[in-house]
Amino acid sequence: MSLLELKNVSKIYGELKALDNVSLHVDQGEWVAIMGPSGSGKSTMMNIIGCMDKPTTGEVLLDGVDISKESSKHLTDIRRDKIGLIFQQFHMVNYLTAVENVMVSQYYHSMPDENEALEALGRVGLRERAKHLPSQLSGGEQQRVCVARALINHPELILADEPTGNLDEANENIVLDLFAQLHKEGTTLIVVTHDPEVAEAAQRTIVLEHGRIAREVINENFGK
Amino acid sequence: MTKRKMFLRMVTSSLLRRRSRMLIALLSIAIGATILAGLVTIYVDVPRQMGAQFRSYGANMLLLPGEEGELNREKLNEALAEIPGDSLVGAAPYRYVRLDMTTRQQSFTAAATDFTQIVKTSPYFSVEGAYPSETRQVLVGKEIAETIGVHNGSTMELTYQPTVVSDGKTPEESRVAGATLSGKAEGFSGGMVYVTAVLDDAAKIASLTVDASTQTPEYGGQIPEAEAYLNQFIGKSLPLAGGDVDTFTGATVTSDAVVAALNQATAISSPAQPRTLNFTVTGILTTGGEEEGYIFMSLEDMELMTGTDHLDVAELSVSASAEQLEEYTAAITEKTGVRARLVKRVARSEAAVLEKLTALVFLVTLVVLLLTLICVSTTMMAVVSERRREIGLRKALGASDGSIRAEFLGEGLFLGLLGGILGAILGFIFAQVVSVNVFGSSITFQPLLVPAAVLVSMIIAAASCLLPIKRAVAIDPAIVLKGE
Ligand SMILES: Nc1ncnc2c1ncn2[C@@H]1O[C@H](COP(=O)(O)OP(=O)(O)OP(=O)(O)O)[C@@H](O)[C@H]1O
Ligand SMILES: [Mg+2]
Repeated sequence: MSLLELKNVSKIYGELKALDNVSLHVDQGEWVAIMGPSGSGKSTMMNIIGCMDKPTTGEVLLDGVDISKESSKHLTDIRRDKIGLIFQQFHMVNYLTAVENVMVSQYYHSMPDENEALEALGRVGLRERAKHLPSQLSGGEQQRVCVARALINHPELILADEPTGNLDEANENIVLDLFAQLHKEGTTLIVVTHDPEVAEAAQRTIVLEHGRIAREVINENFGK
Repeated sequence: MTKRKMFLRMVTSSLLRRRSRMLIALLSIAIGATILAGLVTIYVDVPRQMGAQFRSYGANMLLLPGEEGELNREKLNEALAEIPGDSLVGAAPYRYVRLDMTTRQQSFTAAATDFTQIVKTSPYFSVEGAYPSETRQVLVGKEIAETIGVHNGSTMELTYQPTVVSDGKTPEESRVAGATLSGKAEGFSGGMVYVTAVLDDAAKIASLTVDASTQTPEYGGQIPEAEAYLNQFIGKSLPLAGGDVDTFTGATVTSDAVVAALNQATAISSPAQPRTLNFTVTGILTTGGEEEGYIFMSLEDMELMTGTDHLDVAELSVSASAEQLEEYTAAITEKTGVRARLVKRVARSEAAVLEKLTALVFLVTLVVLLLTLICVSTTMMAVVSERRREIGLRKALGASDGSIRAEFLGEGLFLGLLGGILGAILGFIFAQVVSVNVFGSSITFQPLLVPAAVLVSMIIAAASCLLPIKRAVAIDPAIVLKGE
C-alpha cells in the first residue's frame, strides 16, 4: 500500500532547480535511504515530505492527501500526527531534561505522559539519563533522545536527515538497530545519508544528483 | 501529566534554567513596577499630606492699621462684617509686644491672639499640650521653651514695661493741673540734665526729680540728692524767673540747666505702672517657623497689661474666588479705613497644584511604563533570536502558531508576576523612604497595591512580548534541517 507518492515534484530557487521533476513512490512500511552529493536536493526533498516546505510544481501525496496544496496550518497538523523527525544536529530544547524533551513531542501531539516518555528513553537505552539536561549528554546520547522523541507518538513515517552524520561507529549501530526495530514494527523510514553502510541497512537506496533521481538501488542483502 | 502542567513546566524551566537572560527582563519589570508602585503610593498618600500643608498657609488676607486710625477689636469686627460669614474660615488678630521676664532678666516677644481662630488660620501649628483656654495661660514657642526651660504646667512671670511717650504739647500748654512734665537741658561740658516734675491741682510744682548723672559727681552730680536745693522748687509755678531759686553751691552751670530744663519741660502721658502677671504654660508650639520664638497669650491678658486694645495685624482665611477676594479687600479698605491686603497663598488654589501633581505623576508613570516596555521588549526580542533553533524545532515537532504564542506569553506573564510582586514590595519601601525624607511622615501600606502592581506588570510584560512573539511565529521550521 502506498504511503508516499511524489509526482513530478520540482523546487526552484530563482535559477536553481533544487529538485527537478522528481517522482517517487514509497510503500507503507518501507525503509528507504536517500543518498547523493552535497547540494543534490536531499534536504529539500525531506522538507517537502516533512510538510515544512511546498514544492514549486508537482504533487505530493501523503496517505492519499495532497500536501502540496495544503495551508501551512494544516501542514503542521499533518506533520504532528504522521511524521517523526530526526536531524543531523541533534536539536534538543536545551533547558529541558531528556525526558522533558521527549514529552514536548507528546505535548504538541496529544498528552504528555512521563511514564511513556521514560519507556521510550528505555528503548534507546537512556532510562538512567532521563533527568539529565542536553549539556550533560554526549552527542550520541542526544541523538538517541531525538530518536525516542521521534518515535514517541508512533508516527507512520520517520524522516531522518543524516541521523548518524555526527555519530561514532558504536552509536551509529545503536541508531541503526533502532531503525531496524521500528521497521519491524511497520514504521516507514526515509533516511538521508552519506554513509554507504547506513544506506545498505535500508531496503532500497535512491541516489539524487542535481535535483534528479539518478538511480535506484535495491538492497538484495536486506534482512540478512 | 496534563497539558497545562507540562506547559507550566516548560515555561518555568525556561525562566529558571536560563537565568542570566531572564534576570535582565525580570529586573527591568521589577524596577518599573517598583517605581510605579512607589509613585502610586506616594501619589495616593501625598494629597493627604499636601492638603494639610496647603491649608497650613491658610491665611490669604491680612488686615493692617490704616493710614489714619489704628486697628483694634472694634475696627476688626467692622472689617470682618464686609466678608460674608460663610466665606470667612477664620480671622486671627495679633498684637506683638516685648515683655520682660524679670526673673531671668530677658525679654521676649509676646503675641496676643485669639486661640479659637488660630486653629483655623494656622492649622499647621503643632501644639504639644493644649491651646490656652483661659486667661493667664500661655502657649510657648519651642525655641523659647528650650532656652528658658519651661514645660507644660510651668509658671512664668511676665512684665510689661511701658515706654514714656511725649504728648507733643508745647511747654506752655503742658503746665496744667496734674500734668507730669519732662524736660532736658545742656549742663556742664555738654552733658545732659533731665528733670521730671509733677504739677499739683494749682499747676504748681508738687515734686521734682533730677537726673544729673552726666555732671561732675562732686558738684552738679550731687543735685539729685540735695533735698534743701530741690525743696526750693516745690510750690513754684513755671516758668521760673532768674531769682526764683538759689543756685547749688559750686554747680552754677548745672543749676542753670535744671531751671532751663524745667522751663522747657513738656507733658508726658501719664505712664502706666509696670504690670506683671503670672502665667501658666499649657502647651509648647512647634511650627518650624519664627512662631517658635514667641510666647502666645490671650488678647484679654495683653489688654490688662498694656491698657490698650491695639492690634498689629489680623490674619484671615477666606474661602472665595480671586475676584471675590479683590472685592472684599476693596470694600474693607474703603468703608472701614483698615488696610486689607491679599497674600499669595503657596497654593492659590489647592486644586490647581494637585491637578499639576496628578499630571506629573501620570506623565512619569507613562514614561516609566514605556521604558519598561521597551526594555522588556528588547530583551524578549534578543531571547527570540537566541532561541530561533528551539522555536524551529518546536514547530517541526508540531507546535502550532498558537502554542508558540502561548508559550512566550506564558513566560512573559510569569516574568510579570514575579516582577510585580518584587516591585510592589520594593515600591513600598521606596515610597516609604521618599515620604520620610521628603514629607517627614511615614506611609500606610496599601494592600491593594500588590495585586495592582502585579496586574500592571503582567500587562506590560505581555505587551512587551507582542512583537517578539510575532517574530517567533514567523520562524520557519525548516531551519532545523539546515545546518545552522
Ligand atoms: N532557501 C533556499 N534558497 C535558495 N537556495 C536554496 C535554499 N535551500 C536550499 N537551496 C539550494 O538548493 C540546493 C539543494 O539544497 P539541499 O539543502 O537540499 O542539499 P542537500 O542535498 O541536503 O545537501 P547536503 O548534503 O550538503 O545537506 C542547494 O544548492 C542549496 O544551495
Ligand atoms: Mg542536507
